[in-house]
Amino acid sequence: MSESIKINVNGNQIESAPNKLLIEACEDSGIHIPRFCWHKRLDPVGMCRMCLVEIETPRGKMLVPSCTTEVTDEMVVDTESEVVKKAQEGVLEFLLINHPLDCPICDKAGECPLQDQTMAYGPGESRFVEEKRHFEKPISISEIILLDRERCILCARCTRFSDEISGDPLIEFIQRGNKTEVNTFPNEPFKSYFSGNTVQICPVGALTSTSYRFKARPWDLKSVRSTCNGCPVGCSTELNSSQNKMLRILGIDNDSVNQGWLCDKGRYNFEYLNSEFRLKTPLKKLDNEFMETSIKEIYTELSDLISDSNTNINFLIGTNSTNEDYVAFNEFAKNFPSTNQTFYLNDDYLYAGFFEKGINRATIDDLNNSEAIVIWSEDLKENLPVLYLRVRQAVKNGAKLIVFGHSNSTLKDIADFYYSDDIVSENFEIIKDISKLKGIKEHVKDKNVTAIIGKSTPYQLDENLDKLVSYLVENSNSKIMNAFSSGNTFGAINNLDNVKNLRDFTKNVSAENTDLLFVVGSDPIGRSVFSNEIHRIIQDIDNVVCLDLFLHETSELGNYIIPTSSTLGEKEGTFTNIEFRTSRIDKLVPSPGQSLSDWEFISGLSNFCNFNNNIDSLDGLNELAYQDFDDQDSPSFKNLDKPSNFDGIINDYQPNISTELNENLTSKYFVGKKLYGDNITIRYSDSISLLGAKQFIEASESTIEKLNLSSGECTLKQNGHNVSANYVVNNKLADGVIFIPQNRRNFNRFDFSETIEISPNQSKEALNVN
Amino acid sequence: MKETLLLTKHMRENPEDSHLIDSYEKNGGYETARKTLINGSPENVLEEIKVSNIRGRGGAGFPTGVKWGFLAENEDRYLVINADESEPGTFKDRILLERDPHQLIEGIIITCFAANIENAFIYIRGEYAKPARRVQDAVDQAYQKGYLGKNIFNSEMNLDLVVHLGAGAYICGEETALLNSLEGRRGEPRLKPPYFPAVKGLYMKPTLVNNVETISSVPWIMENTGKEYNKLGVEGSTGTRIFSLSGHVNNPGNYEIEMGSSFGEFVESLGNGIRNNKKVKAYIPGGASAPWFRGDQLDIKMTIDDVANNNSMLGSGAVVMMDEDTNLVNAAKSIVSFFAHESCGQCTPCREGTTWLEMILDRVASGRGRASDIDLLLDVCDNISPGLSWPPKMTTICPLGPSAVSPITSLMNDFREEVESLIPTKVLL
Amino acid sequence: MSWNDSMIKQAKKIIKMYPQKRSAIGPLLHLAQSKDGYISDDSTAVISELVGITEVQVKSVSTFYSMYKQEPTGKYLLSVCKSISCEINNSKEIIDVVKDFTGLNNNETDENDLFTFEAVECIGACGGAPAMQINYETVEGLSSENTIKLCEWLKKEQPDVIIAEEMQDNFGGTKSFDWAIKDQSGTTGSVPGFQTFNTTKEKK
Repeated sequence: MSESIKINVNGNQIESAPNKLLIEACEDSGIHIPRFCWHKRLDPVGMCRMCLVEIETPRGKMLVPSCTTEVTDEMVVDTESEVVKKAQEGVLEFLLINHPLDCPICDKAGECPLQDQTMAYGPGESRFVEEKRHFEKPISISEIILLDRERCILCARCTRFSDEISGDPLIEFIQRGNKTEVNTFPNEPFKSYFSGNTVQICPVGALTSTSYRFKARPWDLKSVRSTCNGCPVGCSTELNSSQNKMLRILGIDNDSVNQGWLCDKGRYNFEYLNSEFRLKTPLKKLDNEFMETSIKEIYTELSDLISDSNTNINFLIGTNSTNEDYVAFNEFAKNFPSTNQTFYLNDDYLYAGFFEKGINRATIDDLNNSEAIVIWSEDLKENLPVLYLRVRQAVKNGAKLIVFGHSNSTLKDIADFYYSDDIVSENFEIIKDISKLKGIKEHVKDKNVTAIIGKSTPYQLDENLDKLVSYLVENSNSKIMNAFSSGNTFGAINNLDNVKNLRDFTKNVSAENTDLLFVVGSDPIGRSVFSNEIHRIIQDIDNVVCLDLFLHETSELGNYIIPTSSTLGEKEGTFTNIEFRTSRIDKLVPSPGQSLSDWEFISGLSNFCNFNNNIDSLDGLNELAYQDFDDQDSPSFKNLDKPSNFDGIINDYQPNISTELNENLTSKYFVGKKLYGDNITIRYSDSISLLGAKQFIEASESTIEKLNLSSGECTLKQNGHNVSANYVVNNKLADGVIFIPQNRRNFNRFDFSETIEISPNQSKEALNVN
Repeated sequence: MKETLLLTKHMRENPEDSHLIDSYEKNGGYETARKTLINGSPENVLEEIKVSNIRGRGGAGFPTGVKWGFLAENEDRYLVINADESEPGTFKDRILLERDPHQLIEGIIITCFAANIENAFIYIRGEYAKPARRVQDAVDQAYQKGYLGKNIFNSEMNLDLVVHLGAGAYICGEETALLNSLEGRRGEPRLKPPYFPAVKGLYMKPTLVNNVETISSVPWIMENTGKEYNKLGVEGSTGTRIFSLSGHVNNPGNYEIEMGSSFGEFVESLGNGIRNNKKVKAYIPGGASAPWFRGDQLDIKMTIDDVANNNSMLGSGAVVMMDEDTNLVNAAKSIVSFFAHESCGQCTPCREGTTWLEMILDRVASGRGRASDIDLLLDVCDNISPGLSWPPKMTTICPLGPSAVSPITSLMNDFREEVESLIPTKVLL
Repeated sequence: MSWNDSMIKQAKKIIKMYPQKRSAIGPLLHLAQSKDGYISDDSTAVISELVGITEVQVKSVSTFYSMYKQEPTGKYLLSVCKSISCEINNSKEIIDVVKDFTGLNNNETDENDLFTFEAVECIGACGGAPAMQINYETVEGLSSENTIKLCEWLKKEQPDVIIAEEMQDNFGGTKSFDWAIKDQSGTTGSVPGFQTFNTTKEKK
């Protein structure tokens, strides 16, 4: 298939794969053709007409758009002829006649394709003496996006992205001809989880982000390439800062992972870095009051404790750390026999996963090469958003999609088979014979299958998933992707010797067996469905050391508080994604005050304890992390810093998770996580803080009728715990299923195994809810 | 000069009830379809159409038989009748829809038989409410008689026909825009390649898109053979054509004639000359998109090729006569405004360029022009249609933008002094 | 949803006519127009629900076509043609007369919601230029005097059904062609009178 054809461009012969678009073939050979509407990741529309070139045809030279013309063997192309130049100049003039001259106050200026191309190809002066088209200057089309229609050149990138890629076409062309504008529907704002991508691909300053507006000029920006640690997809990012403040995150086109896209949480959840509430100095609790202290004093007190062989130590570890941080903890913990090397990961959904020998692991790209995709996991759109985009892409390219459960209702519209209601019970158990399901018989048996498998809810029993996975492994050529959904989970399970989940924490950890608890970047009290139990446990433990960015419901219980650097932009290290791809985390801005990286703190403490381990340097930790790999494939800093490895290196780890079976765990409700929640970082990121604040439940229309709800609001009551919430109709949910998001404030305090009284709330007017 | 009535024969002979199925059948209607479906073969129909050499009557003049031959194999194929007649000057499909809808339906049945199609649509422009009602009535009558629906004429052929009303967009006359519109989308032309209707048409399935007049000709061709049809008219422009004559003529109207006589003869005899014995200053030979001819070019023959050889087009068969008193700048402005209003807005040159041309012309027409405006007009035109040649080169997806260039180049080539006279002499201060 | 049951029923019937739901948007928008005299946000939401696309996608379609009005129209939509054949046959005068009579500029509706005026592109009545449509029913061969009389008649009689033949006989002149057929069907709103939309009536 590597056959190539030859085309002649401007008198030079270049090679190209057949059927490539001319604009791409030229680009690959270093010949740049100007363009606005064409974007590598979007279907070509040939609208802006900027990329016109001349090709020779039997009827003479013809002007054609290079973005819609496929190369053919022996094609003769001129991208620089007088006719081409005239046409390009003409198009630019047309684009500029209605474009405002507000570059001095435009965020895009300095990195604006229209500005750049006008300089390179445009006419020197304007011949347009009429009045320009006017629209109201920027209108807010969502909490995070502004639209300036005067600047818009109608390239349809944003509309195509929403329609083709993210599948939520909420921004569209309105009117026609010269009156055409891009807009949203009045009652239906641009409430997409992916809206920030439209800002990034807008070739002018028509779409801008509230978070970046008027903040900086491109030429003042510093930038590094990094990896988003928001979820295990691990999107490649470019971080931008000015004057040591993080100001913007862009997606980098990592072909195997995010292909340039980011979810809005990944893109906008950074303002907390600059929050005045960041912890800056070490704190120590005295008489229930936090007092500033020195790190040295904490080290001294802790090393005294640790050196006492009667001290029992445990670790509750978050998923926001780097692999090197995890290695440091692991090495550190080796010094205490009492812990059994167990790390409780701050995740309700973690379970043993499917990593055994004989189970093939899936890469994200495998989705594109599968005949069928089977999904039974948490809601991908809410929890692994860019993986959701890749699933959409694969389905668009022809893969059959088979979805189990109630959790992925956002995939229902594009699923070929959606098995909820009769096939998956409310307890998330498949209650039919898998082999007899039509979608399985026709599209899975003996086919190439990629399965995305994970717990749909913390209450799902592991064994329920086993059944499906066993069937797939035995009956199809399947690859399995374990859909853990929390930050650098894969880095944690690779680098920590023994990992358990929060449920295990509640069962195993208590004040009786723990004298010293390290809580690292975790707020289970604020997020976990086991919040109440965890709260009780931690409260009773005598010595709690919290490493965190902020004081929150959990870190407030600490006796010692260590301010830490954020993995986002304040640290160097590595991150491992859902397909075991390890890539670079990089540092761009300083962390505030006396903040330390997790590993720096642990390293210092080790030294105070006179432990003899090799965790004194980041490079050392990095080497330690990958010491078992061949030098060639190892994702060491040295290897990752080679340009050919910027997209990361995939390795075959054998993770060590030893979660215990979770029988007796039941829920009367469908509990899950939403993309935006009441997390501490979102709370302190102004642009998006409101998006995670609204409290709501979801159910089908008929379920809502049965609950006698009608005013738009309701109250959830249980044992004196009351939460007022909106309800949202989601008819894709099976009847009787009530969805409650665990990561909205106070929701995780309910005991979901017991009935929650849901009653109408007539006192207030219906609220608009997203 | 006389008319040759093929398509308009029934309506002329039965003026008051030509739209009713009884009248149509009394005069032999649906017999051809019956015979074709029972005794004929799809291959035979295609052959007759090819022999007839009929060329599409929508404007582009593409050979119908060849078009049918391109239709790709597929379980689902569609026929869409383009009744979105909106080209200024054109009202010939209106008469065929209003006064002889069954002839069209019979043509559709035969066409679908030939192309193995079970679903057809008639896309009628929204402003043609009355014609659409007549067609809908006719469709209902045909269903009642069993000429549409299941097992037509006991031939095992099934055909469903839906009358679809547009909503005011000239661009939907462009076949791929029409398909988008019929799919419930914005009427924006699609890219060709890859969206050739015969391969990826309605719902991305192979689709025939044919004009009302073209398909209305099918029953006659099948009844009288392609060979007979081919004898009418002249080579390359066989058969009859319904010309819509308007403007400053004494007898405007639709006239069905064999192609080949001159515009002059046509206007003099059937049009009964120019009103008040005025002279023709300019005329449009084929709808608003076509470059104009001068009054001294009335001897050009009304064939597709003759008009093309004189750098214009016979297009939709709309002939608009403009007498010696006509303000041609206003006339051109009217046409440019039309295209600016009807531009879909996809392509930058058309979206921005047509409106800009309209603005400049407006300035010139109202005496606020500048000396540089003539060059500016031509250069803006050149950026829409490079080289200002005919047939037009385009910087756009579809020919709508370049159509707006036609009246301006006509004006500048032949009536430049009329434009110049409107531009105030520059006063030096 | 604020369409009543009979409209929803009608809508579902229309959707069934097409191989794909989305094709029904066009007729459904005509239906919406017949209900309110324009495409209300509410109707847009109903159609989006019926067809299964977003509201802004419906709006994107409805705003593309000039016959779907984004503002409420009067009882009579007066559409005077200004394209080439009418232009050279004094359509400007007809436009001025209608503007004068109604006191309206282009795309305006009077306070009584009686008239909406618009100057439109070609309505396919070029042989009978100048011409206009009232609620998409054509009158050809207009003179200024007759145009005023037509407007006066509309204002005075306020007929519920607009019938082209009736207007043509009383106020029209040269026709594009012989209309020949005696037809007393017409339209009942500022929307094409068409069976599928339930917007046509016969005058008894």
